Amino acid sequence: MAKKQAPHAHKKNRNVGIVGIGQTEYSSHKEYQNQAEMINEGIRAALADAGLKLTDIDCVVHGNMELFEMVHQPDMWHELGTGAFGKPQFRITTGGTTGATLVCAADNLVASGMYDVVMVIGFEKLQEGHTTGGITNMADPLWFRHLQTGALTATTATRMISEFGEERAKKASMRYRIMMDKHACLNPRAHRRFGLEYDQMEDLMNTSPMLVGELRLIHMCSQSDGCCVMILASEERAKQITNKPVWIRDHITVHREENINIFGLKVPETTHHCAARKLYARNAITDPIAYFDVFEMYDPSSWWGLDWLREFFLLKGDEHITMLENGDWDMDGRLPLNPSGGVISTNPIGATAMLRPAEVALQIRGDAGQHQLRYEVRHGLASGFGGTFWTVLMMLEKELGW
Amino acid sequence: MAEYFGSKVEDIFNTMPARFLPQGVAGVDVVIGYDISGEGGGRWTVTIRDATLVVAAVTELPKCSVVLISDAETFVGSALGKIDAAEAFGAGKIKFTGDITAVLNVLPKAFSPFKPVVRAGAIIESMPERFKPEKAEGVSLKIGYDLSGADGGAWTMVIKDQTCSLKQGLDSDCTVTMRMAADVFVGLNTGKIDPAAAFGGGQVKIDGDIMAAGTTAKLFGKFEVAGAQEKKGEELISLKCIPTINQRFATGTHMGKWFAGLKEKKIIGTRCPQCQRVMVPPSEVCAVCRVRTDEFVEVGPKATVCLIDTIYYASPDPLTGQVRATPYAGAYMVLDGGTPYESFAMEINPKDMDRIKPGMKVRPVWNTERSGTFTDLLYFEIDD
Amino acid sequence: MKKVAICAVAQHKIEPDIWYKRFQGMLLEILEDIQSQTGFTFDEENGVHDIVTCSDDVFDARTISDNGMTDVVGAHYRGEEKMAQDGLNALGYAMSMILSGHDDVVYVAGHSKESQGESRNMATNLAYDPFYARCLGFDYLNAAGLQARAYMAKSKITDRQLAQVVVRARKWASRNPNANAREQLSLGDVMYSPMLCTPIRTRHAYPVSDGAVGLLLASEKRAHEFTDNPVWITGFGSCMDRYFLGDRDLASNFALKQASGRAYKMAGIKDPKKTVDVVELMDCYAYQQPMWLEGLGLADDGQGGAFIDASGPASYNVNLSGGHLAGTPLIIGGLYRAVEAVLQLKCKAGEHQAADAGCAVVQSTTGGAGQFHTVLVLEK
Repeated sequence: MAKKQAPHAHKKNRNVGIVGIGQTEYSSHKEYQNQAEMINEGIRAALADAGLKLTDIDCVVHGNMELFEMVHQPDMWHELGTGAFGKPQFRITTGGTTGATLVCAADNLVASGMYDVVMVIGFEKLQEGHTTGGITNMADPLWFRHLQTGALTATTATRMISEFGEERAKKASMRYRIMMDKHACLNPRAHRRFGLEYDQMEDLMNTSPMLVGELRLIHMCSQSDGCCVMILASEERAKQITNKPVWIRDHITVHREENINIFGLKVPETTHHCAARKLYARNAITDPIAYFDVFEMYDPSSWWGLDWLREFFLLKGDEHITMLENGDWDMDGRLPLNPSGGVISTNPIGATAMLRPAEVALQIRGDAGQHQLRYEVRHGLASGFGGTFWTVLMMLEKELGW
Repeated sequence: MAEYFGSKVEDIFNTMPARFLPQGVAGVDVVIGYDISGEGGGRWTVTIRDATLVVAAVTELPKCSVVLISDAETFVGSALGKIDAAEAFGAGKIKFTGDITAVLNVLPKAFSPFKPVVRAGAIIESMPERFKPEKAEGVSLKIGYDLSGADGGAWTMVIKDQTCSLKQGLDSDCTVTMRMAADVFVGLNTGKIDPAAAFGGGQVKIDGDIMAAGTTAKLFGKFEVAGAQEKKGEELISLKCIPTINQRFATGTHMGKWFAGLKEKKIIGTRCPQCQRVMVPPSEVCAVCRVRTDEFVEVGPKATVCLIDTIYYASPDPLTGQVRATPYAGAYMVLDGGTPYESFAMEINPKDMDRIKPGMKVRPVWNTERSGTFTDLLYFEIDD
Repeated sequence: MKKVAICAVAQHKIEPDIWYKRFQGMLLEILEDIQSQTGFTFDEENGVHDIVTCSDDVFDARTISDNGMTDVVGAHYRGEEKMAQDGLNALGYAMSMILSGHDDVVYVAGHSKESQGESRNMATNLAYDPFYARCLGFDYLNAAGLQARAYMAKSKITDRQLAQVVVRARKWASRNPNANAREQLSLGDVMYSPMLCTPIRTRHAYPVSDGAVGLLLASEKRAHEFTDNPVWITGFGSCMDRYFLGDRDLASNFALKQASGRAYKMAGIKDPKKTVDVVELMDCYAYQQPMWLEGLGLADDGQGGAFIDASGPASYNVNLSGGHLAGTPLIIGGLYRAVEAVLQLKCKAGEHQAADAGCAVVQSTTGGAGQFHTVLVLEK
């Protein structure tokens, strides 16, 4: 690949590597630990993974969606478990994208030269609050809050059925769902692992209870509790800490206005599409499907996940569905998608978007265990989703010198 | 008959009358059908009407409000909490046809949780394990158990040389024979029936050496109900607290005009001076052009439907905490005089829910009482 | 080290109840103000690509409190990240975005209305753990009360000296057209005001405040495109103290000393007493002014009372804006302080301008009794 200096490419002040990854298990039964304890478990795992101690950490970055647990400034209480005592700290929260934003923030903080080793904490403990209440609170209190159905809508399903035909669309989204479950079954950390088989497709398509229209229970992500912690370091420190640093090449965040006015007669460009085309253009990537070895996408439902493949890879027509039907997104396909099982299987909201780059990093390191891809993973892509259809998109690399 | 996790499918239905909570089903009128496959399965109907319960085993299911379909193991396991019901449901191992809310809203309040049925046979068969040889020095006994009724049976316990053995049937030379209904035997052994009452009331008959009968108690450890073991672990204490901080939200200039418009049965938007799009409700700025938008325009009142959402699973109403009746429908529409790519979302009149389709023209339905608030505009209905 | 400039600042007048505007309207005015000062755009080539906002979900009673602000901060199809702690940290973070090379120009905007909820104390009570401290009824006010007791004893602060701090704050606030509490008070007005939470009197506490602020930051290379008069961020530091009040020495200023030490080190300031000539600090309660001044190394340890008697605050041009004591919304307190410090260094502070402003230190705190502190050093 030609090493052109593309315009607006991220001219990093210095390189940043992921040197440690820690996760708790994800479940809906973590009554045995409080929030600070759960975070502490994640931290210990990340420090152990990196071979570091708390004294090696220069700065802590913390985030979640605070209204879910109804704790004001939770990072204050969580000091009991975060190890932030005596340290600088930042707290950044951007809804569902939080986990990914935290990694972008840590990348900025380390690349800036202000800090050498930064620990990033994303978590959620949904059972300690009222999740649907928290989501409903996202809407404008003056208008839309009283109409809201939380994060549920079948508009994408309806559009896909209209564009591709009912049978093909429904089969594709169910195939996507079952594929994600199969991946989840290889991931001991995944929350929901049903053991679905492709021969259940027809049955599930027709009998899984409808939440909103053709968005059925089986398509929709879970609500999980858990914590993910990552440690990022400057190039110099990263090379001292580990022989397998995973480099953060670039990241982009694209938001849009709060009004969900995108279901009219013409559809504006999605933030996913905008993020992808800008990120690829400034990194001189003309064929992302050929370039990337793995994609961990934030897929809140199998309808959205399927639809967004077309957006993220700038595809046209039914290319994304044809690729699905050909097995191109499978673990042994052209571009493996969500070998971890994705968001549908595991969704600890404040951590979910961090799990995406974390899982990509594990693939690049060769540490993903049972769901490790079978060939060398050099170039990874990870996405975050949240808010009013916002996107965070990040590129990770095995080697420097891109 | 097949058992799963120590219980039978029929136990769940047979115990329903005893577990029924009439105070939890005021106003409920449902017929719930159960279609359980596998060994020990079958079909049952559970009818709850006027706070009374009728449970019936059937060969064919009649018309039901909802039917639960599952296999025997999953059904029993989830009733006992050994299988996560939500996971089984998500994985399609428990399915419903019909109105699922009838089940989700009614069942948890209609019955106290199912606990494994303790059977006389299980108690008797556990006696050799519970035998205390150190207490049986010099004891030589044959105890007959003659238990009548469903789950009953006859057993003989032989205690000799500090050993205990059990066999089926009643030996003719029992030192003492205990005769009672099987469920009385269970009640005595689980502490649910007072021995004095049972013996005094004639529910228990003893043939033979009454003194021998009296000594058997100390030869065996207490029978523990399977679930009782778990109670020895830590109890999970759960406290619910609802923090409430009252809020006073400002409308600002633009939303102020929006609500003032609603009161006058007008739908107000703002037009961007640059791209000309009309934003509904009004916005102080056009996000795309990044310019201030202060030109108010009236749009609608009619609109063209673009997409429809039929909602079966509702979020709670943020103001009252109540969950609204489902299903209900919402539509994304383009208002007349609006912009083709700016959709406006609103509920659809429930009576039009089945007929509403994209492309249809709809009109607003206003509340007769309007005061410039979000309840002024009720929903949209088909304009025919 | 490369530097980051603050090119322009804007602030909404702080009032006890801005019922007649929504956040959106307030922030739009801020954006227009900064754009008219600098001509900056959100142009895809040369404009702002990323925005940092600051607000609080509990005070806004809104999940993802930045949700509704996207359009008025220009973030539609741009990046936006929300700082969910005191806004001064947003400046440190925005600085890192620029120093990292990811961005050249960053717009920072914050909003909050303390008047929206029925009680600030109910909101801050939710900051405490649900099992113990919350049930005891802790909030940021009574936590401050405990700290005030400890500090006043250590540094020999008298009720009269606290009153002097408040009287001075009001005097300066009356010269700041944007300040909230401008009513002039006598020493007696303060000393005889009722106890709010001993030893904090009603007049010692900052009033309920609504406001919004914005700042434009740029790399050293591009700052001149937006201003002839950049103010440089030369130092930034922050530090977290322990959560349980009982685990802390409440009068020690541990976190602030660490934070200011880090900021001064980055700025190359070896003796702040000689270098600093303007201070904007976040004094939510009167005792915090002398206390934070000790933590900033401008008053000697344990000498807060003597410092006040020697007119220390006047000699360091402390809070010529009226400070947080004159009223600023909690979550953006630090941003307002930074804005005021920038105005001082740009000589745009009008009637509350310090004579020779060359180096300003800005301080803010998050959490109960100053659990977390942030310090920024600004220079001309």
